[in-house]
Amino acid sequence: MTQTSPRIEKLVDHLYAADPQVESERAMLVTESYKNTENQPIIIRRATALKDILSKMNVVIRPDELIVGNLTTSPRGTQIFPEFSNKWLEEEFDRIEKRTGDVFRINDQTKRELSEAFKYWQGKTTNELATELMAPETITAMDAGVFTVGNYYFNGVGHISVDYGKVLTVGLDGIRKEAQAALASLDLGDPEAVEKSHFLEAVLISIEAVITYAHRLADKAQQEASACFDAKRQQELQLIAQNLRRVPEYPAQNFYEALQSFWIIQAVIQIESNGHSISPMRFDQYVYPFWQADVESGKISEDTAQELLDCLWVKFNDVNKIRDEASTKAFGGYPMFQNLIVGGQDARGLDATNPLSFACLEASAHTKLPQPSISIRVWNKSPEALLHKAGEVSRLGLGMPAYYSDEVIIPALENRGICLEDARDYGIIGCVEPQVGGKTEGWHDAAFFNIPKVLELTLSNGYDGTTKVGLQTGRVEDFTSYEQLEAAFKQQLAYFVKLLINADNSVDVAHGKRTPLPFLSSMVDNCITVGKSLQEGGAKYNFTGPQGVGIANCGDALMAIKKVVFEQKEMSLPELKQVLDSNFGRGTAAPTPATPAPSVNATDLSQMSSDQLVSLLQNLLSDNQAAPAAPTPVATGNKDAEYVRQLLINGAPKFGNDNDEIDYLVRDVALAYCQEVQKYKNPRGGTFQPGLYPVSANVSMGLGTAASADGRYAGEPLADGVSPTSGRDTNGPTAALNSVAKLDHHIASNGTLLNQKFHPSAVAGEEGLRNLSALVRGYFEQKGMHVQFNVISREILMDAQKNPDKYKNLVVRVAGYSAHFVSLDKTIQEDIISRTEQVF
Amino acid sequence: MEQVAEQKGMIFDLQRFSVHDGPGIRTIVFFKGCPLRCEWCCNPESQSFKKQLMVVKDNCIDCRRCEKVCPHGAISFTPEVTIDRSKCTNCGACTEVCFSEALTMIGKEMTVSELIFELKKDEVHYRKSNGGITLSGGEVLAQPEMAAALLKACKAQGWHTAIESTGYAPKKTLDLILPHLDMFLMDIKHINSIKHRKHIGQPNDLILRAAQQVAEYPDTELVVRVPVIPDFNDTPEEIAEIAIISQKLNVKKINLLPYHPYGANKYENIGETYQVGHLEAPSKEKMEILRELVEQIGLECQIGG
Repeated sequence: MTQTSPRIEKLVDHLYAADPQVESERAMLVTESYKNTENQPIIIRRATALKDILSKMNVVIRPDELIVGNLTTSPRGTQIFPEFSNKWLEEEFDRIEKRTGDVFRINDQTKRELSEAFKYWQGKTTNELATELMAPETITAMDAGVFTVGNYYFNGVGHISVDYGKVLTVGLDGIRKEAQAALASLDLGDPEAVEKSHFLEAVLISIEAVITYAHRLADKAQQEASACFDAKRQQELQLIAQNLRRVPEYPAQNFYEALQSFWIIQAVIQIESNGHSISPMRFDQYVYPFWQADVESGKISEDTAQELLDCLWVKFNDVNKIRDEASTKAFGGYPMFQNLIVGGQDARGLDATNPLSFACLEASAHTKLPQPSISIRVWNKSPEALLHKAGEVSRLGLGMPAYYSDEVIIPALENRGICLEDARDYGIIGCVEPQVGGKTEGWHDAAFFNIPKVLELTLSNGYDGTTKVGLQTGRVEDFTSYEQLEAAFKQQLAYFVKLLINADNSVDVAHGKRTPLPFLSSMVDNCITVGKSLQEGGAKYNFTGPQGVGIANCGDALMAIKKVVFEQKEMSLPELKQVLDSNFGRGTAAPTPATPAPSVNATDLSQMSSDQLVSLLQNLLSDNQAAPAAPTPVATGNKDAEYVRQLLINGAPKFGNDNDEIDYLVRDVALAYCQEVQKYKNPRGGTFQPGLYPVSANVSMGLGTAASADGRYAGEPLADGVSPTSGRDTNGPTAALNSVAKLDHHIASNGTLLNQKFHPSAVAGEEGLRNLSALVRGYFEQKGMHVQFNVISREILMDAQKNPDKYKNLVVRVAGYSAHFVSLDKTIQEDIISRTEQVF
Repeated sequence: MEQVAEQKGMIFDLQRFSVHDGPGIRTIVFFKGCPLRCEWCCNPESQSFKKQLMVVKDNCIDCRRCEKVCPHGAISFTPEVTIDRSKCTNCGACTEVCFSEALTMIGKEMTVSELIFELKKDEVHYRKSNGGITLSGGEVLAQPEMAAALLKACKAQGWHTAIESTGYAPKKTLDLILPHLDMFLMDIKHINSIKHRKHIGQPNDLILRAAQQVAEYPDTELVVRVPVIPDFNDTPEEIAEIAIISQKLNVKKINLLPYHPYGANKYENIGETYQVGHLEAPSKEKMEILRELVEQIGLECQIGG
């Protein structure tokens, strides 16, 4: 690997010098703007608000930057977006500095200013409208923790890749001309002409706003240049100013301008809305012509190009977002999910790897930061050198890059009605979600659906405590065969999926009515042509992608019931239910998502000695006695309950060991969810497509799930993504990969996620790189979709937990993204530590 | 072929994704039973040719179901689970009711066809990594018919084959094995036969003759591995002797495997006693010195598998 420029270290140090701040500027500006536009069409109000923000916000050039464009005054700060939701923030004002993960600083003046602004939004937010639109039974199911649509319910949607390449080549000016032409050619007899004209006017307002923002930054750079005594820096600032007078308004003329133009777009998208996962996608493709022209002609050296690229990489980490405390459990580590992917095939089906693909991986190795989330597309003709380069980055322990299989994703997208050329040009959004960039409103992170919870409710005849949540599919006493139980489970599953659809579509409609995004829409096909925003269905492709979580737990539990209750007849189903209700003799307060996890939750109890278990049990029981909620009576002796737990764990096969019987049952569970989801349509004229990944919701959903028949205690995390349950896969990584590859990844076209953790020794040397590459190719040959590796030792992680100060730079793979380990909530840290470590 | 498929052997473990015992990604088949008794052996459960009851007391949840099902009254709780090895016949009845993995049976009769079914599961990974199958032990060559049958079946699948062996076997056994073998990873522990017999239980003449035979066989690569054991063979002179002999056998590469005590607790688990508890693992510095020595003699050398 090449040397990192000293500038990069300075930029990183500046960025991470202090805890991130909450800022009130945007919230105040958007509120003031809205007050002035009360009677105008919503799309015009949105554009005007963006104009007011961009022409008044404080513009900042940070020390030593070469690529500029800020979202907040302070580094890594967060703006507030009251139009989506705001009550939670006001309620949590005093917790923000004290919470256990994703801490922000907030001062009293900011609190006062935000409170004042929030008064205006009472009853006007997207969140409030969505709630009004939902059916009552949908809300009951959400309250019981069957699923959550929290992300878009409280925030912007994001999860998109715009046509960055188009901005680089025609400039915003090109798009402006397109919108003007569309406006000029509007058929006044068209019944939609009025709405279309509003949209197109909004596009023009927002484009002017972005150009103003770039020019304000140019002025600022010029100003700083005049006051600068360091001749070298002065020159840099002048060049920055010069760049910003040209881009993004006009086409980029060189590599530097292309990066600057790109960044302004990336920044403003995240000022317009706080939807995360704004993904650059195939950056190595649309930026390559600029890199090639400059580097090959010798206009700039490869080192200079790399430094500029590294500067941009640091900039990706200047974007931040505050989430409510409960969401930080599902999205821990300040993640922004800006996914950038290299390699793979082009629209013609030829390998598209180029020198910039390697330079992008190099930039990730140089900066060692969580953003951008770097990924690599792999197919049969991917050069081995690219996989080795990727392996070198994987070995740094950043949890990146993530590896994706073209051979699965392309046909999976075609199956969703995407044409072959577009499918070949896919990229990845956010965590693991395949999308055709610049043409899609994918709504990829639409919901998390707790599949083991559905089995829990099946065993309680649809009741959660005394609340009727699901269907009445029979009491445990009435099931006389495994098949009856499975049928009841599938009936409940279908019912809850329908409620999930209702929740998502309610939120979807609310975004269309209250928070359409004209600037974002201007850079995605076919919004301008059809004269509609993305939120109203203007994109060429429309999807909604809700995720199933916990398939391994649910499949393992069903298999254990099948074997232990119905085949071996070791106990009756009501007896088993009683043991589960007693949380395997531990007794427990009814789990609620709000209860903080006991610290033992994520430790691997199956590996503990009986003494350790007893002392653990004592601690836990004493905790529970102090808790206000009454513990469920302990129905069974602890010793017998532990025997039952061990019987459930070791008396039936478990997913992840390359055993067909259980692997195909887990496949069935996943398919049952996926086939149900894909039946439905969304209000933007697209279809629902399922995914099987958890972000880190497997931890928070585990907290709200009772003890399960796979031997999992109440409150313990669910399995992450399509990975086997932690500690239950005992045959090594190839067996785990083979098991997971038996799932139908094609139908889970919204993405699947497999984590594999390796001790550094497993991938040491040239031989290690070859084996890692072989493992990826072997998994993909069996039609796996995605895999990512955490190459880090358990000891290091445990030490980092104890001495966070020593490990501020430690980046780990959380789920579909990487984050600083020490910024994560303890429960997520525990979960990462307990994921099976593959040492040999 | 039918006969080959039904050939049986005593196997005690399968280890997938092994990357240190031959090239690429491999599956290791561990054969049970060994004619040698190295004092430091880290797999004591591999020594006996019979099934053995293994007890891991830490896993016991005190459910006491084993006590009730034992037909010989060999299990008691004092207060922790205790096996009276003089009564235990290794029948395995107790393991049938133990789900916490405190009592497990080590060793299983498996046929070649059963093994091929398991080994096939990672075929794609062997292919992608130029890996294959390694037979290890115990001592593979102590079950010669099984070893030959299994290697032949693996070659029929098109896989790369290796064995990890002490080489303690007569010529006719090697004649049976070599036609189906791509790589022989041979332990050579000491050149001095008296010292060899003292610490290992057998002289080394058979082993050195086997090394000669493998070296002369054209289609099998010979790799020498030396477990570096304190107070036994860890002086530069002793390692140099092994390296020089290896060089004469046209060996290209030696692996030095530093002694480790991780197998110690397993002795107690199978009712035996670890004799070399006083030994300490050789230091990194010492291993480096030995590595340089081997390289000076003119061989490639790697520490660890």
